[in-house]
Amino acid sequence: MDWAEIRKNIGDFFHGMALAGYEKRLREQFMELNDLFMLMCFMELVGLPNPASIYLMEIYPYFLEEFHIWHRRMGMDHSPVGTLPCC
Amino acid sequence: MRDLFKKRILFFGGKGGVGKTTCASAMALARAKEGKRVLLVSTDPAHSTSDIFEKPFSREEREIYPGLTGIELDADFEARRYIDRVKEQIAKLFSPSILKEAERQIDLASTMPGVEEVALFDRMGELMVTHMDSYDLVVFDTAPTGHTMRLLRMPELMSSWIEALSKRRRNLMKFGQNIEQAGPDPDPILATLERRKERLEEVRVRLMQHNFTGFVLVLVPERLPIEESARTAELLRDANVNVCGIVVNRVLPDDLEGDFYQARRRQEETYRNEIRRRFAGYPLTWIPQFETDVYGLKNLERISEMLSRPDDSAPLR
Repeated sequence: MDWAEIRKNIGDFFHGMALAGYEKRLREQFMELNDLFMLMCFMELVGLPNPASIYLMEIYPYFLEEFHIWHRRMGMDHSPVGTLPCC
Repeated sequence: MRDLFKKRILFFGGKGGVGKTTCASAMALARAKEGKRVLLVSTDPAHSTSDIFEKPFSREEREIYPGLTGIELDADFEARRYIDRVKEQIAKLFSPSILKEAERQIDLASTMPGVEEVALFDRMGELMVTHMDSYDLVVFDTAPTGHTMRLLRMPELMSSWIEALSKRRRNLMKFGQNIEQAGPDPDPILATLERRKERLEEVRVRLMQHNFTGFVLVLVPERLPIEESARTAELLRDANVNVCGIVVNRVLPDDLEGDFYQARRRQEETYRNEIRRRFAGYPLTWIPQFETDVYGLKNLERISEMLSRPDDSAPLR
């Protein structure tokens, strides 16, 4: 490990200390926005009428991966929605 | 009614039983006889165009008279076709395991109320946007007023909903880039939403293009149809749809004798005056009550002629 690398690591360390809290908040907000968007796309799953559900069919497959991340993040190992089996 | 002949898309609407289908069919026939290529589309779930022409229509385009093509839209069928098309589209893009789950979700969504209506609307929009090269005129025989108003408002409603979704998605993507959470670029979800919105926008523009699309209101000289037509005319104006003509159907002829007819005729006179007053500014066409009810080509031709009069000179005043 040469000096340049050590200096870079120290720099990253302080950078992280200063910005970690800030970035955490940003990440949380990003997730919340994402949840809202998912809710708008899967309204029928919670019993709300979705006027555009027929136009959203095309994007369901794109969502399955995000849905997996979501239910894991919500602390559920398995999909909470019977009609949307994930794992 | 000549102004009406310059339009490329005509909607015929009005209260149930006033003769929308008869007038729409007569108009389509009149134009087909002029040598134009005409498409007559019935959107009423209780189709009666095939009964009028005494020829079978189907849910696909089919020629029923030289130059006149007919189609009776079936909402269930259109919903199924729409869903099958989506499944086919995504089948090319995803792995079988994802597809299996996505198709379950699609099947769930397809049982939601309103899906048939949106699918029907989507098909109408498709006819209005992509079929205008093959036809000189597309005539829509619509279902009774309430249903039709919903259909006409649909593109606005849908495109604002989808716009809200894509705005959220765009914000999300921008946000994600800042914290290196970005997915594939360009985002396929956003792209799909925007493609949808463009399609809806095309239909909306077409509906409101006054020199291209017009709405013809059909009524009979009676209290309830007059009230409802006045309300519809106002709603259409609010929605920026051009009302290009009023057809007053089943007007009693002047030369009838007998006390009963004279009494009816006197009452009708007040309604006629009311129609002239309340629909002043709209081109009016008066169609008399016939001695028999109207079906079959021969009777339709009589009405076609009345609709094609070169000016507003009514057969009855």
